[in-house]
Amino acid sequence: MTLTYVLMQNLKRNPLRTALTIVAFALPMAVFVAAISFVMLLARISADNERELRLGVHHRITLTNSLPDGMRRKIEALDPKGERLLAVCGMRWFGGRVPGTQNTLTSLAADADTFPIVYSDVDMTDEEIATWNRDRTAAVTGKGPAEQYGWKLGDRIELESSVPPYMSLEFRIVKIIDRAERANFFYFRRDYLNEARERIGQPDPRCNIFWIKCKTAEGLRTLQAEIDATFANTPDATKSEDENAFAANFTQASGDIPGLMQVAAIVVVVIIALVAGNTMMLSLRERMRELAVFKAIGFQRGRVFRIVLAESVLLALLGALVGVIPTSIGLALFPLKMLRMGPIGQLDVSPIAVLVSMVIALLVGIAAGLWPAYQAQRLNTVDALRRVA
Amino acid sequence: MSAAQIELRGVRKVYYKDRIEIPVLDKLDLDVPAGQFVVLMGPSGSGKSTLLHLVGGLDSPTAGSVRIGDAHLERMNERQRTAWRSRNVGFIFQMYHLVPVLTAAQNVELPLLLFRMPSSERRKRVTTALDVVGLSDRMDHRPNQLSGGQEQRVAIARAIVTDPQLILADEPTGDLDAKTSEEILGLLDLLNSEFGKTIVMVTHDPRAAAHGQRTLHLDKGALEREEHRPAAPAVSAAR
Repeated sequence: MTLTYVLMQNLKRNPLRTALTIVAFALPMAVFVAAISFVMLLARISADNERELRLGVHHRITLTNSLPDGMRRKIEALDPKGERLLAVCGMRWFGGRVPGTQNTLTSLAADADTFPIVYSDVDMTDEEIATWNRDRTAAVTGKGPAEQYGWKLGDRIELESSVPPYMSLEFRIVKIIDRAERANFFYFRRDYLNEARERIGQPDPRCNIFWIKCKTAEGLRTLQAEIDATFANTPDATKSEDENAFAANFTQASGDIPGLMQVAAIVVVVIIALVAGNTMMLSLRERMRELAVFKAIGFQRGRVFRIVLAESVLLALLGALVGVIPTSIGLALFPLKMLRMGPIGQLDVSPIAVLVSMVIALLVGIAAGLWPAYQAQRLNTVDALRRVA
Repeated sequence: MSAAQIELRGVRKVYYKDRIEIPVLDKLDLDVPAGQFVVLMGPSGSGKSTLLHLVGGLDSPTAGSVRIGDAHLERMNERQRTAWRSRNVGFIFQMYHLVPVLTAAQNVELPLLLFRMPSSERRKRVTTALDVVGLSDRMDHRPNQLSGGQEQRVAIARAIVTDPQLILADEPTGDLDAKTSEEILGLLDLLNSEFGKTIVMVTHDPRAAAHGQRTLHLDKGALEREEHRPAAPAVSAAR
């Protein structure tokens, strides 16, 4: 028998309370590990975005205010020698849905000639680019919709637009994007959209956003200022921002999710510390005489302190394991990308998030056990034995 | 400690409650030769348990000296007294105070966790201790599967597993019926007569006191009188 064994047996003393405490740890820790994973996901996306050196130019007021098609030439003219600017890709929101479904895909019509350059991270092969250029109905989709609707390369599919004039268009899948960051996107050619609109007598070649691929970070910053200055005080005044700033604004439009996540994480940690601390104090009160006997038979104060503290840490770690493992398995088996919820859709539990959660659980276990352990250490053996004699 | 020899000189113990001084023992002198079975009697508040705690190193005197064998307990700090207790004293309490989630054998093994010792040696000692108290067939039983008398036997086995020379018992039969009390007292007689343990027992029960070779009557923190009896003949472990 070892002291660790005694600790483990102690957890069986009141099985219901132990189980409830573990669950009280497990549920918040599940939320916590998901929150940490989400924050890490945002950081990863942010790092990827930074590498891509893309500058988004949209209407100063909102994304829904469109910009004229000709703005692309004016932007290109700001760098005639191509020292800072690699390519400009105009994009128009389509908001396509698979007929008979309610999920709106993040579907955008993009300039055919520059899309493969501006979105080089989509990793289109020469052959795929050739097909994209050759076939006006060509579409590039992320893995999310492809897996959900069973689309394969070469499939012909139909999408109905959720915005006026509510057109229905047929596409041919020429590329399925592997990258998790683009898992829920669907791109097709803007000239195809424009022609379709002309056919129904509603031509409107305007764009919601122009994405500019820059050569250097310095070039991105100078272009950003120049573009906004060029179109200032016109009906089409612009707001230019790098992809991270754009994503941050976009996310905040639906609430400060990262901020909420941080607050939730802090609240979670405080709650579980209080729950564990309360449990340990209760447990200590029940075992006052037992700990007094431990001291009487020769257990030093420090050892008694460590026994109580270790029990708290053990409870916290067990709770964290019970929370984190099912969350990891659950997210692996039922990925959130099925829900089409923007960045959250790419959420999976990272090993670092698991490690951070376990470390947090360890710290919470220590914090919750410190006071009861201190009380146990200070316990006056004679008084405690007298009280229960 | 080769053999317990208890020597108390001018021992005074004072407790404080709300800054009011409460004297419990006053200028107490006591000598107990090694291997004696001493009984402490007296009304509540007479200082019996306090004396037991001082002799066991659970508490330190306000004044005076407490020497057990070669150890001067009044000169030791708490850490030293705790270490001394683990090697030299076995405690038996009225309410047994066993750990409910451990088996009888594991409860007996607890004090041995403080020593560097191979597990085979630990097992041997636990088996011997439980054998002495007649519970070798109940090793894997938990306290809630044992009777009160059996629980107290396990507590006695826990007290002797480290082979201390001094055993301190605080009303060990206070929670037991007459028949079981006799069995437990028979065990204490055995530990004293066969194994040479020095025993100091606190009790209110005159029948229990009759097992000791010497009875000290305390009143208001002082030794009122004492009685001597011849050593009892060896008794086999009662079941």
